[in-house]
This record gives sequence, C-alpha cells and structure tokens, in this order.
Amino acid sequence: MTGPVEDALRVAVHDLADGVRPVPDLAVRALGRGRRLRRRRRAVAAGAALVAVVAVALPFVLLRPQPAARPITPRPTATATPPAPIRPTPGPDWSTKPLVLPGDWVVTAGTFVNGPGKGFVLDRNRGRYLTADGYDGVFPAPVGSLNAVTDEDRPRQVALVDLTNGRTRWYDVGRALSAPTWSPDGRRLLFTTHQLDHFGFIVMETDGTRHTFRVDEKQFFCTDYCDFTWSRDGTEVVLPQTGRARHDESVRDLRAGVRLFSADDGRPTRFVPVPGDPAGPWAWSPDGKLAVVQGQQEPLLVETGTGRVIRTLPTADVVWVSDDRLLYRRPYGARDVVLADLTGRELVRQPLPRELVEREITVAPR
Amino acid sequence: MAEVIDGEFTAFVTERGDALLRVAYALAGNQHAAEDLLQNALAKAYARWPKIRGDAEPYVRRILYNDQVSGWRRRARRAEVPVAELPERPAAGDGGHDADLRLLLREALRALPPRQRAVLTLRYLEDLSVERTAAILGCRAGTVASQASRALAKLRELVPALDELTTRSEVKR
Repeated sequence: MTGPVEDALRVAVHDLADGVRPVPDLAVRALGRGRRLRRRRRAVAAGAALVAVVAVALPFVLLRPQPAARPITPRPTATATPPAPIRPTPGPDWSTKPLVLPGDWVVTAGTFVNGPGKGFVLDRNRGRYLTADGYDGVFPAPVGSLNAVTDEDRPRQVALVDLTNGRTRWYDVGRALSAPTWSPDGRRLLFTTHQLDHFGFIVMETDGTRHTFRVDEKQFFCTDYCDFTWSRDGTEVVLPQTGRARHDESVRDLRAGVRLFSADDGRPTRFVPVPGDPAGPWAWSPDGKLAVVQGQQEPLLVETGTGRVIRTLPTADVVWVSDDRLLYRRPYGARDVVLADLTGRELVRQPLPRELVEREITVAPR
Repeated sequence: MAEVIDGEFTAFVTERGDALLRVAYALAGNQHAAEDLLQNALAKAYARWPKIRGDAEPYVRRILYNDQVSGWRRRARRAEVPVAELPERPAAGDGGHDADLRLLLREALRALPPRQRAVLTLRYLEDLSVERTAAILGCRAGTVASQASRALAKLRELVPALDELTTRSEVKR
C-alpha cells in the first residue's frame, strides 16, 4: 500500500471513530444486559439437551440456498389441500437437455452465488448445459445465446460470451458496480453504480454502448438494499424507496414504495406504493396489477395500485408465469421448484438434479 | 461478592467505555449499531467477570471484533452499509480537495464489508501490526493482507479521487 494512501486511510478511520457520541449510561445498561445474559446462560445450561439438537440442525440451515425471511404467520392453505404431484427427479444425464420446469420455463444456469466455482449454463442452440468455470459471476440472458460474466479482478468491466461461437468481449462499464441484470428481452444489461458521489444506474446494450444515469439519493431516498431492477416490460428500472421509520440494523428498512425511472433517458416516471422490494422483472404480474415483494419481515403478495397486502408467501424470489401462477424455489432446504397459485397452493413440484441443489438457479421462459 | 463484581465492572466501563465505544463505532459505522455491539461485548464480559477481571479490555476488544466479523450474519448479507447523507462538496482548490477526499473516504469506509472494515480499524485506528491483527481476527497474516487489499480496491471504486492521491504523490517525487 502506498504512503499517501495509507496516511489518508489512517486519517479517515480516525475521522470515522471520532464521529461517535458518548453514551452517558453505558455502564448501567451494560450491567443490566450482562445480568440478563448471565441468567440466560444458567437457564441454557439446565436445558443443554435442547441446545444439542439445535447445534446439529444448524449446519443444514446454513447450507440452504438463498432462504428468504420465514413468514411469521404461515398460511394454512397448504395443509388443507392434498400434496402437489411431484415430477420425477432428473437423472444423471439431466445436463444433456434443457431442464423444463412447470409453467414451461427452463433452467438457464446453476451457479454459485458471490463466488467462483463450477456452474452450469444452458446452451440453447445445442440444447444442453455447458460447464462454466473461472468467472466470479455468470448471468445468462433470458433469450438468445449471450451470457454476461464478471471477474473480481476486473471490477469495472463485464464480458459478453456468445455461446454460439465462444466469442468473449470485455466492456468497460463503471465503478462500484452491482451484479448485472438482464432486461426481459435480453437486449440490455442493468447495473447499479454505488460510487459515492455518483449513485445511479447504467444501461448497457449488447454492443457495449452505455448510458449512465445519476440518481439523486436525497430526492429518491433509499437505504439498505438499493440495487435497481428491471420493470416487467423492460422499459423502466425500479429503485426501492425507504419509508419513515427508525433505522434498525436487525431488520430491513421499511419501504414507502418503489420509484420507477425510464431506462432510455433516466427520468423518473412513476411511484408505486408497494411495501417492499421486487426481486426483478418477473416479480411483477403480467397485467401489472400485482407484485411479489420482500417486505420488512416477510415476502408479500401485494396490489401495485394501492400497496395493499393480500397475503404472505414463502419467498419473494418468484416468477409470474401467468396472471395466476407463480414459479419459485421452495425455501427452507427443499430442492424442489414449485408451481403454485396465488393462494400459495402448490400445484406441481419439480425436484432439481443433485448438482443444482446447492447452486443458485436462473430461469427464463422456454 | 455480587456487589464487588458490579463495582469493578462499573469502574472498568466508566474508565474505558469511551475508548471502546470509539472502536465499536469504527467497526459498526453508525451510532446505534456501535452501542449495540459494545453493549453486547460488555454484557459478555460481565457474565465472565470473575475469570477475566484482570484482563477485561483485551477480552472486550476480541469480542467486539469477533462479533463484528463473524456474528450478526443477517447484517453481513448486506453488500454495503447505506450512506444516507452525502457530504457537501467544499470549494475547489487543494485544501478543499483534500477535505473533500477525507469526507468521502470516511463515508466510503462505512460501505465496506464488516471484515474489511475490521482489518482497517485494527491496522489504522489501533495501529496494530499485520500479525497482531491476524491473531485478533483468528486468521492468517496473508488473509489480513488480502482483506486490506480488497478494502483498498473497494475504496478506490467508491472514491476515484484516491487514485489521484497516488498520482499526485508520484508527480511530487
């Protein structure tokens, strides 16, 4: 590390620490908390058998793929109906043909999240999966043969890999980038730039043409999870807006709604009062009247016009395959992908092949 | 016996609380989280006071760092701590530029992942060596170096003016 940079860092760390305000009753509060902790430890020692069971279960919990917050009040509908029919588990040759899911969607990739590792990517032309290795992120377009790939050693760039001919082209995008997300038509990539004094979004076309739009964080206030996502029709991008509530690190910040911006010129277009964050373009119903969002505590099915919560759902990471059908991966350790209706009733379950169970899967229309 | 423990503990927090809170704030990045982090560490210290009374401060510091880095998994999933208010940019000029950089860097530190901010706090607030930093975080010296390097790369992404600092120093040489 160079001298002036190290000096600047030292000053900045001290500046940061200097920002603290004294806490007058620190000792009293710590004493109270310490006493409670001591009482709890004594009680826990008395119930050691129960703790042992939890300790065995915990590693399994940590291995589960991308669990969402568990609903506080699970809906009873699933228990009142017969179990959904389960399709056969794909055999060892599953990668030789597209893995078609209920609702006629298809798995386009199975990759590790936030890190390198061997993954699988669908080559639509050849109708089989290729192994993807050596990149930190692989993001298949929902249509066509392009894959966006990222490499932590090239943090300001993205590459487009065309599976039809293997051609790979790297493009400069910008600084402090989020992972890329494809527009629903597979023609554009969306990045959030978290550069401190240039927060905003970048739309990149597949020929590398970039359009950078700065967004005023004070006017369009967002905290917590603040990546832009596509709207269902791909003409707008969506930014969650923080509501008025006390900030608490232990829960997600309350949302007032989401603000939409034109993907063509970056202008704000409309505000939708949904009380949470949509996971992406497919989290909006085809007719635009409903959406699934991750609320402060739970995944929610909501009306977009009013923000009214209709019910909780098992996960916010859903795909609307039609106006009344949702496709999602069962949370909490299950390996199945499920087609469900809007009440949460499961209609069909598709187990995943063993190789995809611990990977994040990407899906797209067939 | 309980009164003796309470008295010793209270005296310790009264004497060292502000210094520890400063470390907690550098680690957590905001007042609320810093208070929570420190109170949690102090509570653990109180519960074990008879065993650690002569060595309380290193014990509390270790808990602070461990809780920040390995605990609070829910928070660790967040890529970045939000920066609610951006500092106003001062007028141009070298003095203004440096002040601007300083403010931006301070805000950018808040956006680092917990482990990277912990490494920078140990190295630059506590002025510990790479080896001592590694010992406190329970990792190898190479990991400390790589975390520091990633932190710097992230800061350069967030604050491009950091690159200019290096360039300016090279020009002056």
